[in-house]
Amino acid sequence: MAYDTLVVERDGPAGWLVFDRPEAANAMDATMLAELERAWQELDHDPDVHVIVNTGTGRAFQTGLDVVQLSRDRDALREQSRRTRDAQLRLTAWHNGVAKPVIAAVNGVCAGGGLHFVADADIVMAASDATFLDPHVSVGQVSAYESIGLARKAPMEAVLRMALVGSHERVDASRAYQLGLVGQVVDPPERLRPEAQALAERIAATPPQVLRAVKHALWAALESTPREEITP
Amino acid sequence: MTYSSFEDLLVERHGPVGWLVNNRPERLNAMSARMRDEFALAWEELDRDPKVRVIVHTGEGRAFQTGVDVTEIATDGVGMERYRRSLEDFDLHFTSWHQKVWKPVITAVNGVCAGGGFHWVADADIVIAASDAQFFDPHVSIGQVVAIEAIGLIRKMPVEAVMRMAFVGRHERVSAERAYELGMISQIVDPPERLREAAQELAEKIARNSPAAMAATKRALWGALELGLTDACRAGAKELVSMWGHPDQEEGPTAFAEKREPQWQELAPAPPDQPR
Repeated sequence: MAYDTLVVERDGPAGWLVFDRPEAANAMDATMLAELERAWQELDHDPDVHVIVNTGTGRAFQTGLDVVQLSRDRDALREQSRRTRDAQLRLTAWHNGVAKPVIAAVNGVCAGGGLHFVADADIVMAASDATFLDPHVSVGQVSAYESIGLARKAPMEAVLRMALVGSHERVDASRAYQLGLVGQVVDPPERLRPEAQALAERIAATPPQVLRAVKHALWAALESTPREEITP
Repeated sequence: MTYSSFEDLLVERHGPVGWLVNNRPERLNAMSARMRDEFALAWEELDRDPKVRVIVHTGEGRAFQTGVDVTEIATDGVGMERYRRSLEDFDLHFTSWHQKVWKPVITAVNGVCAGGGFHWVADADIVIAASDAQFFDPHVSIGQVVAIEAIGLIRKMPVEAVMRMAFVGRHERVSAERAYELGMISQIVDPPERLREAAQELAEKIARNSPAAMAATKRALWGALELGLTDACRAGAKELVSMWGHPDQEEGPTAFAEKREPQWQELAPAPPDQPR
C-alpha cells in the first residue's frame, strides 16, 4: 500500500512507521490522519512484523495537528473535531488497538499532539538532541489526552509543568530519561534508528503471543477496576 | 482588589502573580487552627482576584511548612479532636486543591517541609525548591497516621519513595536533589536566596498563557487522577471541547502569526457547583 505522508516498511521482525512530512515538522494533515489509521492496521496485521518502531524524518519527531492545512480542509477538520469530542481518535497505536509492542524513537522535537505518540507507546527512546514541549495553552488550546496519558506513566508534576508552561520551556532528552518518560537516550543522535532496530530485534526474540499478553495486561492496569471486583 | 488582613499568612500580588506566604517563622510555619482557617479565605481571595493569573505559595524563614502545630495540639485542651469532623467528612479547605482553585499553583519550598507540609506539595501543580530544602514525614514518629498528603503524593510520583518517607518518619530526610530525581519537584534553585525570584520568573512565563485553556487543562489532569485511563480521556475530551469557540482559540494562533503577545480573556469566575 502506498503512503504520501508516512513511510511504512519492514526490516526483519521490525515494522517501521515513519512520519514523513519533514517540511512541515511532521505535523499531521488530513492525509496523515487517514494514513496513520491504515498504517497501524497494516503493521499490526502483518504476521512477519513482531515489533513496531515509530519515528520521524528530519529534525522533528511529531508536532501535532497541522492546523493550517486542516483549516483549509473543512471535511477533515469536522471529522477530526468529532473524533476529539467523542474520544474516538485514531492517531496512535493505543487508539487503534494495536496489540504488538510499539517503540517510539523520538528523533527531534516532539511538541503538543506529538506527545500522543510518546504517551501511547510501550517503549520510548530518544536521540540526545530530542526535546519535548506542550505549547497548547500558549495558543489558547487545552492539553488533555496527551498529558493524561503521560501522567499515568511519569511523575505528574513534570507533566503538569509542561502542560502549564506551554511554549516557554522545553524538557530535554536527559531530563526525560531521569523522569522515566524515555528509557534510553541515544548519542550521537544519528545512531537512533540502528539502536531502535536492535532493541526491536531483542524484543522480537520473545514469542509474539507472550508479548501481546503482557501488553494487554499492563495497559489494562491503567484502567480503573472497581476494588470489589478483585477482592473477596 | 484588597485582601483581608491575615495573621499567620501574607497575601500579596506582584504583577500577574499572587503570593501566599506561610508567616509563622518562629514556629517553623506550623499550621495553627487560625492559619488553617486563613488558608481557606486566602485561596478564595487569590482565586477571585482577576489580576492574579498564577499563584505562588512559599514560607517565611527557614521552614516551608511543618504541618499541624503540635505544641498547640498538646496544650490547648482540645487537641486533634478539633479536626475530627472535617477529617471524617473529608471536608478540608487549606490547599488549592481542596478549594478548587483552577489557576496554576506553584509551591516554592524554601526550607524544611515536614509532615502536613506535604499537603501543599501533593496539591500544587508545580513544585520548585531551594537547594537546601529538605523533606520528611515525621507522623509515625509521634504516633500519628499519615494518609491524605501521602495518598496525594503516590498518585504523582514513585510510590516507594513516599512509602519510605511515611514509615521512616523523622529518622531520615530527602534532599532537594533526590526530590528532583524522583520528579517530586521540577527545579532546584541555587543559591537558595534566589528561590522567590525564580518562582516569580516561572510564574510570569505561565501567566503568558491562556487562563481559560490552563483552567480546562488543569481540570482535565486533576480529574484524570480520579479515573481509569479511558474514562479520564473521555472526561478530558469534554474539557478540550469546552474551549472551542472561546475567543482565546482565535487569539492564540493570530498572535503567533503576528509575532506578538496574545491578549487573553480574563478567566470567568467558576460556578460554585463545579466538580473537583
